[in-house]
Amino acid sequence: MNHPSAIRIFFKTIVARAYPRFVGSHRNLTWLVTETLLPLIGTIAMIYVYRALHAPARYLGFVVLGGVLLAFWQNVIWSMATQFFWDRGGGNLELFAMAPTSLAAILLGMALGGVYMSLTRSAAVLLVASTLFGIGYSTASLLPALGIFVLTVCALYCLGMVLASLFLFYQREAWQLADALQEPIYFLSGFYFPVRSLGAVVGGLGSLIPLTLGLDAIRQLVLPGTPQFVPLAWEVVAIVVQIVAYGVLSQVSLRYLELQSRQDARLILRST
Amino acid sequence: MSEAIAQWRGFKAATRLGWKISSNWTQPLIFVIYSVLRPLSAAFILVIMYRVISGGAPGTGAYLAFLVSGVAFWSFVQYGFAGLSNGIVEDRGEYKMLKYVYTSPAHFYVYLLGRGLAQLASAAASAVIVLVVATVALRLPIHPLGVNYPLLLSASFLALLAVIGMAMAYGLLLLQAVDAHGYGELGSGVLYVISGAIFPITVLPGVLATLASLSPLVYWMELIRRSLLGSQAIRMFPALSDGDVMLRLVVTTVATLLLAHLVFTWADRQARRKGLIDMESNW
Amino acid sequence: MDIAVETKALRRVYRSRRQEVVALDGIDLQVRRGERFGVLGPNGAGKTTLIKILVTLLLPSSGEAFVDGLDVIRQFREVRHRIAMVSGGENVGFGMLKVREQLWMFSQFYGMPSAQVRRHIAELLERLGLSEAADRRVSALSSGMRQKMNLIRGLITNPRILFLDEPTVALDVGAARDVRDEVRRWMAEDPSRTVILTTHYMMEADELCDRVAIVNRGRIVAQGTPAELKQQVQQDAIVDLQLSPGNRLLDALRAVDGVAAASVSEQDGIDRFSLHLSSDAALSGVMRVVEGSGRQIRGVQKREPTLEDAFVKLVGRGMAEEEQA
Ligand SMILES: Nc1ncnc2c1ncn2[C@@H]1O[C@H](COP(=O)(O)OP(=O)(O)OP(=O)(O)O)[C@@H](O)[C@H]1O
Ligand SMILES: [Mg+2]
Repeated sequence: MNHPSAIRIFFKTIVARAYPRFVGSHRNLTWLVTETLLPLIGTIAMIYVYRALHAPARYLGFVVLGGVLLAFWQNVIWSMATQFFWDRGGGNLELFAMAPTSLAAILLGMALGGVYMSLTRSAAVLLVASTLFGIGYSTASLLPALGIFVLTVCALYCLGMVLASLFLFYQREAWQLADALQEPIYFLSGFYFPVRSLGAVVGGLGSLIPLTLGLDAIRQLVLPGTPQFVPLAWEVVAIVVQIVAYGVLSQVSLRYLELQSRQDARLILRST
Repeated sequence: MSEAIAQWRGFKAATRLGWKISSNWTQPLIFVIYSVLRPLSAAFILVIMYRVISGGAPGTGAYLAFLVSGVAFWSFVQYGFAGLSNGIVEDRGEYKMLKYVYTSPAHFYVYLLGRGLAQLASAAASAVIVLVVATVALRLPIHPLGVNYPLLLSASFLALLAVIGMAMAYGLLLLQAVDAHGYGELGSGVLYVISGAIFPITVLPGVLATLASLSPLVYWMELIRRSLLGSQAIRMFPALSDGDVMLRLVVTTVATLLLAHLVFTWADRQARRKGLIDMESNW
Repeated sequence: MDIAVETKALRRVYRSRRQEVVALDGIDLQVRRGERFGVLGPNGAGKTTLIKILVTLLLPSSGEAFVDGLDVIRQFREVRHRIAMVSGGENVGFGMLKVREQLWMFSQFYGMPSAQVRRHIAELLERLGLSEAADRRVSALSSGMRQKMNLIRGLITNPRILFLDEPTVALDVGAARDVRDEVRRWMAEDPSRTVILTTHYMMEADELCDRVAIVNRGRIVAQGTPAELKQQVQQDAIVDLQLSPGNRLLDALRAVDGVAAASVSEQDGIDRFSLHLSSDAALSGVMRVVEGSGRQIRGVQKREPTLEDAFVKLVGRGMAEEEQA
């Protein structure tokens, strides 16, 4: 029997799943308030901590760049990792699973739909906070910095796909778990201070999250004087390795989820 | 008499519900770990920020204690304010509970107090653990026997009254919004900046500093540090005696409660009039 | 004979920490291509479980199932291209999307060409009387509209086999008729299409289905055309007895000599008992029991057997009755 190719379905699924996200962010503008003010307030609070300590200006820049990447991390956690969990509750997940598409495409679509929001949010943090506190950046290496930013976001989304199936397996309220892990992740990734200050062991552990190295690399490029955690080139290589590793791992875990869910009705099916 | 019993029952039920909602998702032990992990991480973030800048210069203990005590006690605002105001919205949305509460014999006020109390119990556990762990790990100059407990407890009692009052008023205000997702955190975020929890309010620009000095939370933070650290405390109000700070805490708390009551009553009337109580939020 | 769906000794056990539930206990089915096949059964009979296995969402604990000639266990990816499932009362999708958009979105998960799908959606919306609502947000639909929209979702991907799990549950008479009409029309459009639907409504099975399987406690207790099933109760005398309300009477009636089966339903404050009598003589025994109960007789009729009667005889109780421990 003829049916559309897997590739075609894959891309159509991404677009289709991104669509409600995208449309939703236009039809309901309340998110603009929380999504931009909330991270802005968090960033500003941390900037004042440095201000109170009379820290050099680049430290304020560390915080702002942390805030920028934070938006993407939040998108991964709230729009990807926990999303299957919500979808299951509403009965959507079983329809996704029953369709001849892949769960990875569904997840990527969710992420893509959320990128728009994340970009708005990180732009707001970057512009407002940098203007308010007069933070300057070196633009000499802007392009490489952007490249690393894109790589980091890719790695994050691969990790998000792994987390999405993990969250479903972990039959608890995924929301609470993600919530409880927020600050620990901020700590481990060095959102508010140079990663180097974490030391080799904790910093190495934190580097499992693609944010950590990406953030450090970007800071090295646009904020001269950033204490170096590991050499820039290593960081880039590590991020690429993470993209591959998390990409493969996510495929394995989604496959496993798919098979396992057919054994154990609770994984995907709406509880009736 | 039977009215009082009904109120008491409602209060107990609400406390239990609040506890269940925030902890039923996992074993109590894991719950405690989680509620400690968050503020501990927040504290350690600040510790590292401080260390990076000061480079471990002498006299760092006092400033670390300033930061740690602020974060530890902040969990009361985190849970009490964000938890309670979000709880009101969640009760309407996910749990579809609010309409039953509104029609139950227990007064809404009492119900919310109960829910708030359950949140504060979680907060207290996390505050104590963070303080103890950080004091030991960072060798902070806090000595359990040297703490001025009467000052600490009376200041905290007043501040928590204010927090719950603000949260109730804010939560009801949030009911006016179709989608109040994230506004609880937004509110507590604003309070965070103007409370002097992690930096002295003197670094704030003029308007914010004035606003901060009207909030009871600043005086509470000051009294927490004075009671924990005695003369070693870094003071935001060096010119004020303990009594003066306490007086300001009392005055601002009373003012906050009055304002909260007005807002609550207004929002409550609006909510009833517009049928916001059993409105289905669409997500 | 061209088979669309086949199951062999299909069994499914749900295991949880505390207990095991045998939801399906050896189901053997053959559904022909072009058939409208009904699965009838009381709550918990295993209907939904059967459907979920056939649509590849669940694995059987043992046994085999084939959909469009494909093994649902191993060839599930291929099966998914050829099927669709719609459950009654489901509230899926995204509330802020418009009806049109939501339908389009689901079609994309099957790789449907957008332009063609849009046309198809408009056509189906029109036919089901939803054109007005096409640009309304999904969250603003009544449950009847929502259910019609869900049916359209099942149709736009051109499945070879359509699975409907209680498609008319909680619909009013008109909306339920629209849904049934659409299913009939869809089937008429292409004789190689097949529908398998579960239902609680006898009338629906009788009217819509070419063949019916009656499922109880995970087993098929009878299958055949509605006429064949009714045949099974043809030699019984069916008596409807309307009584004023009172104490529980059903067990006493069932105990009467010559009463083969009995069921009860309540309507307008009157208890309507349906009795299957193996001989007319049993009626006098029934009357004695009724008199003893002190209830008032509001009416007695003898009537032609319906599918419901066949069900009551086979399952031992009426569809509307609660599960008895
Ligand atoms: N996920 C599950 N875990 C455990 N038991 C289940 C699960 N799903 C269904 N069951 C049990 O399996 C049996 C069959 O359920 P199923 O949903 O298939 O019945 P049904 O015929 O569709 O009922 P209804 O008419 O109520 O929809 C029931 O006893 C039910 O309790
Ligand atoms: Mg069912």
